[in-house]
Amino acid sequence: MDPTHFISGTGEHALVITRIAERHWHALEDDRVVGRGQASPRPDGRVFLSIDVWHAVVFDRLAEVMLADLPTPLYTVVDEADIDLTSRWERVGFVTRRREWEYVVPTDPAITGLGSVLPSPGLTILPSGAVDEEPLRALDRVIRDEVGATVGWDSMPAELLARPDGSPLLDPSRYIVAAEAGRYIGLVRVAPIPRRSRIGLIAVRTDQRRRGIARALLAHVLGSLHRSGTAMASADVHEANAVAVALFEGVGAWRDSSNLELVLDQEGRRP
Amino acid sequence: MTRTAKGIEVEGTVVDCLRNAAFTVELENGHKVLAHISGKIRRNYIKILPYDRVLVELSPYDLTRGRILFRYRT
Repeated sequence: MDPTHFISGTGEHALVITRIAERHWHALEDDRVVGRGQASPRPDGRVFLSIDVWHAVVFDRLAEVMLADLPTPLYTVVDEADIDLTSRWERVGFVTRRREWEYVVPTDPAITGLGSVLPSPGLTILPSGAVDEEPLRALDRVIRDEVGATVGWDSMPAELLARPDGSPLLDPSRYIVAAEAGRYIGLVRVAPIPRRSRIGLIAVRTDQRRRGIARALLAHVLGSLHRSGTAMASADVHEANAVAVALFEGVGAWRDSSNLELVLDQEGRRP
Repeated sequence: MTRTAKGIEVEGTVVDCLRNAAFTVELENGHKVLAHISGKIRRNYIKILPYDRVLVELSPYDLTRGRILFRYRT
């Protein structure tokens, strides 16, 4: 493969697209980098693209070279409010696959109404720092299997992290767990981002659902954040996940923005 | 301000989140630039909020525009 493509540029100067590494491309004009493209594989095997440019014409030419070099399907993520970027991807054949709402979640019990929510008898909420890794890993495996057998992880908003050996990366300090009779049955993962912690995942074993466990976990997390001085959290929710939408909207959360996952499908919908 | 092979990179503070997925960033020299986020930040679901300290690459074509490359933890 010739890694260098000479293409007419944005003006009088030639634009040179070079594949500088397996998953990186540069657009150069007068030896100056005027655009970058990257392909990032996720643990589930899907490849996500990003292109950063200063001119739309450079985007089109970087995309042309990258799409010629890579097998489909290919994916990307855009902020739905970024109309220019979304239309650039659509122009080269990408179509919307799904939408995630970003909810802003208040933590004040006076707003959430969760102040009086207590775990059901026999249920214990283990705060971060009190969660053991091995039973957490066992619960994570069960939940991943359940998700994989139903909606699939590629439809989940939380990015799937994994170790190089393929096992999931778990940091117990980021989890709050619901336990019953010594068995872990539900979890919440919280990323401690300054000013607006992110609720990355909330999940309950299938055979333990409809008992208010997710709501009890959320009450614990939001209450802890409120006591530590954090007024708002955020959560990304797939628009088709009616249960999660109801859970967050039921505590007064509101939609702040949305991300679109775009895909260039197997048929290669290219211009 | 640092001029690297990547371009001109400066640190700044986000002062406003605009409606079109853009941000106003005040640089250390007091200048304000209109910035979008990089693809890497977007891919990793990193949220940018007012008061965030960020690293911005300035456009070589227009120094009032930039791209947010990195959000500092504090």
